[in-house]
Amino acid sequence: MRTKTGTHSLALKITHATFATMLVAMLAILTLDRPARAAGDAMDAVKGLVNPAVQILADKTTPLKDRQVKLRDLANGYFDYTAMSRSALGMHWKDINDQQKKDFTDTFTAFLQDSYLSRISDYSGQQINFVGQSDAGNGSTEVKTTIDQQGGKAAIQVNYMLRQEGGKWLIYDVTVDNISIAANYRNQFNRVMNNQGFDTLLADLKHKQQGLEDQLGTQHSHD
Amino acid sequence: MLIRKRPIDRAHRRGILIAGFALGCLLSATCVPIAAFAADNSTQATSPNTNTPPTANTSPDDNAGLQAEESDPLEPFNSAMFTFNLKVDDYVLHPVASGYAKVVPQGGREAIGRALDNVRVIPRFANNAFQLRIPQAGTEVARFGINTTVGLLGLFDPADKWFGLKEHPDDFGLTLRYYHVPTGPYLMIPFFGPSTVSDAVGRVADGFMNPLSYFVPWYVSLAATGGQTIVEAVNYRSLHLDQFEQADRYAIDLYGAVQDAYLQDRDNRVKELHSGAD
Repeated sequence: MRTKTGTHSLALKITHATFATMLVAMLAILTLDRPARAAGDAMDAVKGLVNPAVQILADKTTPLKDRQVKLRDLANGYFDYTAMSRSALGMHWKDINDQQKKDFTDTFTAFLQDSYLSRISDYSGQQINFVGQSDAGNGSTEVKTTIDQQGGKAAIQVNYMLRQEGGKWLIYDVTVDNISIAANYRNQFNRVMNNQGFDTLLADLKHKQQGLEDQLGTQHSHD
Repeated sequence: MLIRKRPIDRAHRRGILIAGFALGCLLSATCVPIAAFAADNSTQATSPNTNTPPTANTSPDDNAGLQAEESDPLEPFNSAMFTFNLKVDDYVLHPVASGYAKVVPQGGREAIGRALDNVRVIPRFANNAFQLRIPQAGTEVARFGINTTVGLLGLFDPADKWFGLKEHPDDFGLTLRYYHVPTGPYLMIPFFGPSTVSDAVGRVADGFMNPLSYFVPWYVSLAATGGQTIVEAVNYRSLHLDQFEQADRYAIDLYGAVQDAYLQDRDNRVKELHSGAD
């Protein structure tokens, strides 16, 4: 019975795949005369970030500090930090002035970079699987990846939300086990904004970022 | 084929399952109105829309609607209980779990965690059944049978390892959400952590599905359940010793981080149930 179900769903999958391929081919022909789009799709973008990142992390011959600089440069080309900052501040974004917006974006960017580096510095060669991508509406695409865990633990699901900006796929949110990072920070920032105000939020953010930076043992260039 | 490999004490287990199912049904009938009463539509504890992309070229006001703050009318109480729970963890749970982790090796603690999880089969079975997820409910019965016998009282998980039968976690709080009963406000429960009004009701309903409570006096079952809960908490914490340290490292406001993660997780799980995922 199990085998039968398996064959059945496999056949369905093949049919779906064939149908999807035909659709993609048709769409490709239909859109040939459109202006040049980004080279590759959202999945290629995520692979373009994750695969070199894994190589850099695994390269033990390069000093840790140099690897971190390399990783930061790599990540800069793939994350839409401005969109992430706007999203994380939510409805409070319109209440702050341009200088505050710039200060917040710069600080949150540095914080996100150091968080990302700090998290992946724990990485120790686990298998990363690129599961697939799907349309998430509003011109954005979700790319699903999993990171296998040792000791029979369930793999961690890391999904990247991307949309095209100037012909380039950029990440505007990351979900870890389906918890949206942008939404999680939005709730935190909303509480601080309501209870203490912008200056406290900025100071707290700088303080946390400094802590992460010290821990990473790197100098951060504020450019 | 796998289902035929029934455990020996089938009749006994079936009795417990039927009793749990019947009592669960009874409870569901009484709890739904309670939750509906306790819950207020205007204070739904749900996380805001998460995956809508920010539109860079439009005015920020366009996003205001979908980035509304999470309502938290019980915030003063919740905030105090959050601090209380952190202190309980800091002074009692974490030190005890650290000591326990030094004595019992990780593999042993993982096995104990599996065994404690195994005996909680009835709420998992009943709630899958309440949501008419019959194959999943059946899998829970088969898993319990295999793991209790071949898996040595649930210390091991041959149902998954050998037969590919995965656990289907479910609880009464999810059943209430599944049938669109309002969740009520976010609620931080002392000792137990983040919840909502309806999830707290669900916790009590799931607690009543413990078969022990029908065979021994209430104070014995309460003590036993309390003891089990404490052992579970210590065992879980011992396997996640740096959990809060990790969370705090990346959090600007730990209360807000925990609240949002809890609500997003519950929203996601009920979405998965609605989508018919396993």
